Amino acid sequence: MPFSSMIQEMKGEIGAISSRGLLRFRSDRPGGHAAAGRAPAAEPPGEALRESCWAQVPPELLRMVLARVEDEEARWPGRSAVVASAGVCRCWRAVVKELVRVPEASGKFTFPISLKQPGPRDAPIKCFIRRNRATQSYSLCVGVTDALADDGKFLLAARRSRRPAGTEYLISLDAKNTSKGTCIGKLRSNFLGTKFIVYDAHPPCVGAVVSKGPYAHMIGSAQVSPGVPAGNYPISHISYKATFGSRVPRKMSCVMDSIPVSAIKGGTAPMQTEFPSINSNSFASVPFFRKSGRLDSSGVQLATQNEAKIVLKNKSPRWHEPLQCWCLNFHGRVTVASVKNFQLVASGESDLNNQDDDDVILQFGKVGKDLFTMDYRYPISAFQAFAICLSSFDTKITRE
Amino acid sequence: MAAAADSSGDGGTSSGEKTIVLVSSDNSARFEVREAAALLSQTVRRMIDEAGADASGDGITLPDVDAKTLAKVLEYCNKHAPASSSSSAAEAAPPAEGEEDLERFDREFVRVDMGTLYSLVTAASYLKIEGLLNLTCQTIADMIKGKTPEQIRKTLGITSEFTPEEEDEVRRENAWAF
Repeated sequence: MPFSSMIQEMKGEIGAISSRGLLRFRSDRPGGHAAAGRAPAAEPPGEALRESCWAQVPPELLRMVLARVEDEEARWPGRSAVVASAGVCRCWRAVVKELVRVPEASGKFTFPISLKQPGPRDAPIKCFIRRNRATQSYSLCVGVTDALADDGKFLLAARRSRRPAGTEYLISLDAKNTSKGTCIGKLRSNFLGTKFIVYDAHPPCVGAVVSKGPYAHMIGSAQVSPGVPAGNYPISHISYKATFGSRVPRKMSCVMDSIPVSAIKGGTAPMQTEFPSINSNSFASVPFFRKSGRLDSSGVQLATQNEAKIVLKNKSPRWHEPLQCWCLNFHGRVTVASVKNFQLVASGESDLNNQDDDDVILQFGKVGKDLFTMDYRYPISAFQAFAICLSSFDTKITRE
Repeated sequence: MAAAADSSGDGGTSSGEKTIVLVSSDNSARFEVREAAALLSQTVRRMIDEAGADASGDGITLPDVDAKTLAKVLEYCNKHAPASSSSSAAEAAPPAEGEEDLERFDREFVRVDMGTLYSLVTAASYLKIEGLLNLTCQTIADMIKGKTPEQIRKTLGITSEFTPEEEDEVRRENAWAF
């Protein structure tokens, strides 16, 4: 008998079946979400079925669907679909968190915490910074195309303010609000703009040890657990030195307090996996300068206390006699000469004059009026890279 | 919703092609389909292998697929079935229809309500029909893209059950992402 006529015969029966509400599909596997208590009594059968069935989709199917979304939306702004999926319900959130890989593995930003996680080991993540002189603010974006800079996807904002003892930049996830309440970290300089400290509002890694010292009374009571009040955890010390008497550009040095040297010798850099839950009253202002106005961070030591920390130094440019200028190979990512431009490599690995370009961990440079590119790699995070670049705007040291 | 025309007598087409009878979960509907179409389902293929050559005469009951869904699934299989019915060639042989025609069919095929889409994706998973599973998963993925969490929940009828802290975290993430 032809298939089509068999369908005709069945139509009547099927119609009868549907009105008895037997269209519900049973999964042959247990699992999916708990459906207990979900049976709605008053709604018409069709509505009730539709509401509950998607909440019980088998985990392997949910994973298949969400894996497609994660894979197909590699770039922003489309990648917001991955973040949205993680906000639907607990089950979806768990699946998405399993699927999303950290920037070190994928080279992609997904959740805000990825800004605090180390970049990829091979090719750097390419970002750009826009400066707004009128509002003394800066925004860090990641490109959405392959151009040097485009509309970009917003990552972090920073607002600069002058304080008696130096400058301060508050770094925030909120483009419109860089107040203390939303900041995830800050950068502070000394009066001369020769030394800077980068502070993370959250402990950089589990087990951050706080020593006794002049600031213990401010931070000593912080426990590393969810709900810990945000504080100021110094994660990097930056210093600039002019080399007077020569024409060589200034020297930069960044001690990365939270990253041990082992991170680049076969080990791994510490990584935050989530923001601690934030209390609106927990961003207490910590006046580091109230005693002397000089920067002193000896009070707080991190878990890497007994291990050597990574020190990043700027690569020495070469003097180009015909062009009569100092040159670094920025691979087309920096197009305007500026004293702010730099490339940082891990010092101690080899001679600073003879480093391969592969060793560049952070590159920063001007491409237009108020527009700069920032490329960074493992073991530093976007947040750390951004803070280091901000210091380059502030320092008063220029070459002679 | 035209099913592929199939000029068959009892137990086979006029060209002698083998047919298989598939029965829905509540035993309310029996469908006779070309073997090549039925074998698009790895589950059916396995059931036939396990039951042996003679058992297919009584029909293969699919305990987890109701009549309406089975009818729709078989519509897909008939359209996508390879021209050749030889079971060893069924996996490798291309479908009888042209690619553009199939794409148009697929687009129309998934224009269904969310309840039917759910039935189709779960049936495709149970029956292990790769093409249909890909098609339905992709349809759902495309439906998710571009929506906020609230819009996704509304479309699919899901409630979030987050704690207030989790809600806060979700709100912050989405404020940053969108």
